[in-house]
Amino acid sequence: MGKPKAIVDRNICLACGGCISVCPQDALSMFGGRALVTEEKCISCAICIRICPIGAISGRYAANEI
Amino acid sequence: MKYDVVIVGAGPAGTVTARFAAESGAKVLIIERRQEIGVPVLCGEGVSRKIDEWGMLEGKRWIACNMEGARIFSPDGTMVKLSAEMAGNETGYVVYRDIFDQELARQAAKAGAKIVMNTNAIDLLREKDKIIGVKAKQYDDEIEIEADIVVGTDGVESKIGQWAGIDTRLDPKDLETCCQYTLTNIDCKEAYCDFYLGNKIAPGGYIWVFPKGKDVANVGIGVLGNLSEAGMPKKLLDQFIANNPRLKNGNPIRFLAGAVPVANPVETVKDNIILVGDSARQVDPITGGGLTHCLEAGKIAGETIGMAIEQQQFDKETLSSYETGWKEAFGKKLKRNYMVKEIFLDFDDKTLNMLADSLKDIKFDEISTFALVKALVLKHPTLLMKLRPLMKISSEA
Ligand SMILES: Cc1cc2nc3c(=O)[nH]c(=O)nc-3n(C[C@H](O)[C@H](O)[C@H](O)COP(=O)(O)OP(=O)(O)OC[C@H]3O[C@@H](n4cnc5c(N)ncnc54)[C@H](O)[C@@H]3O)c2cc1C
Ligand code: SF4
Ligand code: SF4
Repeated sequence: MGKPKAIVDRNICLACGGCISVCPQDALSMFGGRALVTEEKCISCAICIRICPIGAISGRYAANEI
Repeated sequence: MKYDVVIVGAGPAGTVTARFAAESGAKVLIIERRQEIGVPVLCGEGVSRKIDEWGMLEGKRWIACNMEGARIFSPDGTMVKLSAEMAGNETGYVVYRDIFDQELARQAAKAGAKIVMNTNAIDLLREKDKIIGVKAKQYDDEIEIEADIVVGTDGVESKIGQWAGIDTRLDPKDLETCCQYTLTNIDCKEAYCDFYLGNKIAPGGYIWVFPKGKDVANVGIGVLGNLSEAGMPKKLLDQFIANNPRLKNGNPIRFLAGAVPVANPVETVKDNIILVGDSARQVDPITGGGLTHCLEAGKIAGETIGMAIEQQQFDKETLSSYETGWKEAFGKKLKRNYMVKEIFLDFDDKTLNMLADSLKDIKFDEISTFALVKALVLKHPTLLMKLRPLMKISSEA
């Protein structure tokens, strides 16, 4: 089983852009006023999770890995 | 439709660039993905009175409060007071950033720039290797906008830079991760911007209290990315407010999250590309202030664009007079302050307390390096060792 991918809780995110600026894979972008992870690009480094000032990002296993 | 310039992002960097480009004859389009310029506000809203000299904003509606100066509190509560002139980029006015941004946008429009909202840039438009505009999403439609120059003023995310092959990705140690309440029902009768330092208060950053009126203030925190954890800034800020007699009865009327690049600036021009403001990392690495640089650099960028359009030359060499210009204006300061930031990070709370204790009685409107050193050596001789790298930097700059 792989590592968990990042997922943004759209109810918490306040669109500061911090996670987007630190992602080494360009896997995050702003979409509809909230950050969004492109799962295929995410390498599970968890940098964005640590960066979010309000704890809006967590790790989640891809659907086919549960 | 083809433009001379398409500017991505209608923050201060974008609208000031647009204004000066339009004034020098360019046909300018600004695209902005938000539905209202300046909203939501993602800022502490402190800015130096230096902006008065530039005369880019009309009227006074964007000013919330006039500041007399700044007070810096060390971990043990020792206070150092600075006059507004000494306190650098973020003290002078506390502004309403939404009105501030909208006033700058109005000036851009008055100069002839066109603004479209709800339009999100999703990629650069290329012809072979040449950048010829941007692709954007407007509601559900994908549109193509052609232009000779693309300006990335898209803030901390800096996707335009990334797409153009400029390495704008931030190392966590070069990002302050922030959040802020606007608290009402607190006492701010004294017009001072307050800064609270300490490795337990805000690791690698600080907590700020910027008054917006007699009973309302922006109370925020920045923590350095590599020292932070998920949600840590909010937790530390909540804790600070709960334990602070002046703030604990405050009621929030706004909450925001924010991200401030405290990095070395990146390459800011390429063929057909210019970056300005946060996207170019033109932020003071010590204070995290970026507004004055957006205005200064935006003007230079706009004028450079005017010159490029006149010559019909859009290559890196032509556009690099922008890079030379902003580096002359504040490049040295950014470089120096980046080094100072690194030195400061090594200071433990004890050192910060000693520093504050040495500085607390100095009148900072008549400061000289000599007076500073004298004060430090007299009170805490051991500080001299720790400060040696700092003095080296200031003597070189
Ligand atoms: C919490 C916090 C406190 C701060 N406090 C201060 C302070 O007290 N004083 C100070 O001087 N500075 C402060 N700053 C820094 C200051 O806010 C920035 O330097 C300033 O906003 C940078 O302006 P900008 O125009 O470069 O970018 P922004 O103001 O971030 O504007 C970028 C714009 O681009 C738009 N955009 C982004 N991507 C796209 C896209 N793909 N397509 C279309 N539009 C796009 C965004 O919606 C936004 O409107 C603070 C920052 C934060 C986060
Ligand atoms: S860092 Fe957190 S609040 Fe900021 S955009 Fe990313 S998920 Fe949203
Ligand atoms: S976990 Fe790493 S790769 Fe995945 S989105 Fe977050 S920062 Fe990017």
